[in-house]
Amino acid sequence: MLIAKNLSKSFKEVNALNNISLAVQEGELYGLLGPNGAGKTTTISILSSLLKPDSGEILYQGKSLYQNLTKSKKMIGVVPQEIALYEDLTALENLKFWGTLYGIKGKELQSKTEELLDFLGLSDRKNHKIKTYSGGMKRRINIAAALLHDPKIVFMDEPTVGIDPQSRNLIFEVIQELHSRGLTMIYTTHYMEEAERLCDRIGIIDEGKIIAEGSLEELKKSSKINEEIHVRFTNVQKTDLSNINNHFNGQLLIHENQMVLSTSLANTDLPILIQMCTKANLHLENLQVKSLSLESIFLELTGKSLRD
Amino acid sequence: MFTIAFKGIRQYFKDRTAVLLSLLLPIVLITLFALMYGGIGKKEKSHPISLLFTDQDNTELSKEVFNTLNDKDGMQLFPKSYEEASDLIKKGKNTAVLVLYKGFQDSVEAGNKAPMELFYDEAKEIEMGLLQQALWSNLFGITMKKGIKGKVNTWIKEKNPDLADAELLDIQAQVEEQFTDFDNSDDSKELEEKSNLPMTAIVSEEKNGNLGLVQAIAGTAIMMLLFSVSGSGASLLKEKEDGTFRRLLVSPISPSSILYGKMLSTLFMAVLQLTVMFLYSWLALGLDIFINLPALLLMILSAAIACTSFGIFMATICKSRKQVESLSTLIILVISALGGSMMPLVFMPEIMHKLAVVSVNYWAIEGFFDVFWRQLPLSEIYPKMLVLLGIGIVLTSISVISFKRNLLKLV
Repeated sequence: MLIAKNLSKSFKEVNALNNISLAVQEGELYGLLGPNGAGKTTTISILSSLLKPDSGEILYQGKSLYQNLTKSKKMIGVVPQEIALYEDLTALENLKFWGTLYGIKGKELQSKTEELLDFLGLSDRKNHKIKTYSGGMKRRINIAAALLHDPKIVFMDEPTVGIDPQSRNLIFEVIQELHSRGLTMIYTTHYMEEAERLCDRIGIIDEGKIIAEGSLEELKKSSKINEEIHVRFTNVQKTDLSNINNHFNGQLLIHENQMVLSTSLANTDLPILIQMCTKANLHLENLQVKSLSLESIFLELTGKSLRD
Repeated sequence: MFTIAFKGIRQYFKDRTAVLLSLLLPIVLITLFALMYGGIGKKEKSHPISLLFTDQDNTELSKEVFNTLNDKDGMQLFPKSYEEASDLIKKGKNTAVLVLYKGFQDSVEAGNKAPMELFYDEAKEIEMGLLQQALWSNLFGITMKKGIKGKVNTWIKEKNPDLADAELLDIQAQVEEQFTDFDNSDDSKELEEKSNLPMTAIVSEEKNGNLGLVQAIAGTAIMMLLFSVSGSGASLLKEKEDGTFRRLLVSPISPSSILYGKMLSTLFMAVLQLTVMFLYSWLALGLDIFINLPALLLMILSAAIACTSFGIFMATICKSRKQVESLSTLIILVISALGGSMMPLVFMPEIMHKLAVVSVNYWAIEGFFDVFWRQLPLSEIYPKMLVLLGIGIVLTSISVISFKRNLLKLV
C-alpha cells in the first residue's frame, strides 16, 4: 500500500528525519512509537504530502505521491494531533465542509456524514456547535473528518492526546472497528499501551530514525531482555531447590522465600516451574508474570524512557 | 524587588516586536498629529493659496488685478475660462475662481459697482477663509482706489466741462497722490459697498447635501472596515494556531485557493459592512444614497477590494495573530489620520494633503465625496476606483508571494 524509502528532512540545523524507510501493507495498522520530538509528526506530515522531504521517495500503490498529487491526496485521510475543526460550526457543518473539499456533494455528502455520525455515536449531537462538545467527542469528530472521502490510508497522529480513559477506550473501539473493516492506518503514539493494544506492526522511532520494527512478538523475540516470573512461597527455606535450580540453569534467583525466573519463554516455563515447585512441596503464596513491554524494549534500544 | 523588576525588563526586551511597537506607535502618532495640527514645518515658507482667475473683461485694469494678486506672496493665480474653472472646483481640485466680468474696468472707473464674482467649494472652508482675507487686502486696494479716482474725475469733468486735457491730467495726478493713503471716509464706505465681492458656492450643502455627514460616514466607514478586515485576515493565522490550516493543506485544494477563499469571504463581509453602513446612513441619517447608485456600488466594491487586500496582506506578513492585531492597529490609525478618516483633510496643512495619497482612506473618502458631495458622473469618479483597485492588486500580489514563501512556517 505504502512504501517510503530513505526519507530525510531537516529544519535549518535540526535533522528531523534521518533516512527513514518503511512499508505498510493493505489493511495493516502500523504504529509509529516514539517519545515527543522523535520525528513521528514530521514522518506523517511528509507521508501525507504536507511537507516535502529533502530526499527519499514515497509510493502509494506503486505510484509516486507527487505523480498526481490531487489524486494521491484523495487516497489519504489525516487525523491531526490538534482538534482541527471549526469550533463555531456544528459537527454536521464541519463534516460537510471537509467533505466538500474532497469533492463530495449533495446526497452522497449527506448520507456519508449521517453514516459517520451514527458510527461514532454522535448523531444526536450533530447540530450542536463543536465548542459545546467534550474533549472525547471532539476527537471523534476529528477522526470522522478524515474518513468522509473513504480514504485508502489514514494517518492518525496521537488521536487520544488529552482525553479521559473512557473516551480513549471509545476511540480505540472506533479504530479497531475501522481496522476490522480493512482500512490501512498509520498510528503515531508515545503510549506503549496503545501501540501494544492496537497495532499489527510497530516501528520504534527515535531522533529521526526507525531503530526497530516488527510485530510486538517479533520485537520481544529480538530483545535481549527476558520476561520474569516472580514466585513467593511460605516454606522455601526448609526445602531443597537444587533440582529446580539445575533445570533452569542459572536463570533462577532465590532470595529468602522468593524466587525470580528470568526467561524468554515465560509461557513454556511457567507450567514447568509450577509442576516442579509442587513436587518439591513448596506452598505458593503469590505468583506474578512480568511480561516484556514495549517500554522496556524502548529503554533497551535507546537508553531512555518513552516519556523523556 | 529588584530581581522582579529586572525579570520584567528582561521579558519586555525579549519580545522585540512588542518593544518596537510600543516605542514606534507613540512616535508615529506624535509626528502625525504634529503634522496635522501644523506643529511641524512652521519655519517653512507657507504654501501659497491657489486661485483660479477668469478674465472676461481683458482690460488694463483686469490685467493689473491679475498681476497684483499673483505677485503677492501668499497667492498664486491660474488663468482659466469659467467653464474650466467651474469643472475643476466641482471635481475638488481647486477651491475657488475669481471672475471679472466684461465692463469691469469701465464700471470701476465710473465709480460704479465692480462686476466681479467669486465662485467656490463650500467644503473648503479653511482655504476660503484665507482666500477671502488675501482678496480683501489686495483686490479692494486696487478697485477702490480706481473707483475714487474715477468718481473724482467724473465730478471734475462735470463741474468743469471746458478744462484742458493737460490740466485734467495734472489734477488726476494730484488726486492719485492724495489717495495713496486711503482712509475710511464717507466716500470710501460707499465705494466699499460698491466694490463688494459677491460669492456663489458652486458646490454647497444646499445643492449637494450635508458635508459633515458625508465626511463622517465615508471617513468612519473606511476606518471601521479596515479594522474589520484585519480581524478577518487574522483568522488565517487562527487557522494555523487551531490546526485547521494543516488539514486544509492535506486536502486536494491548492494553497493559493485557501488564500483566495479567505480573501473572497473577507471581501463579502467588507461589501456587506459598507452596504449596511450606507443603508443605515440613508434610513437614519438622511443621506441620499440613490443620487448615483451605480457609482456608489462600484465605489463600495473598489473600497472593499482595497481594504480586503490590506487585511490579507497583514495576515501574510505577520507571524501571529497578536502581531497582526498590534501592527494593524498602528497602521490603521496612521493611514486613517493621514487619509482624512479622523479629521477632514481640508483642516490639515498642505503637507498632509500630499502624504494622504499613500492612504487607502484618502482614495475611498475622495471617491465617496465625488459621489455624494461633488456629485460627479461615473466617468469622473472611476480614476479613484482604479487607484483603489490598483492598491488591491499590489497588496494581493505581495500577499500571494509572501503566503507561498511562509507556507512552511504556517505548517
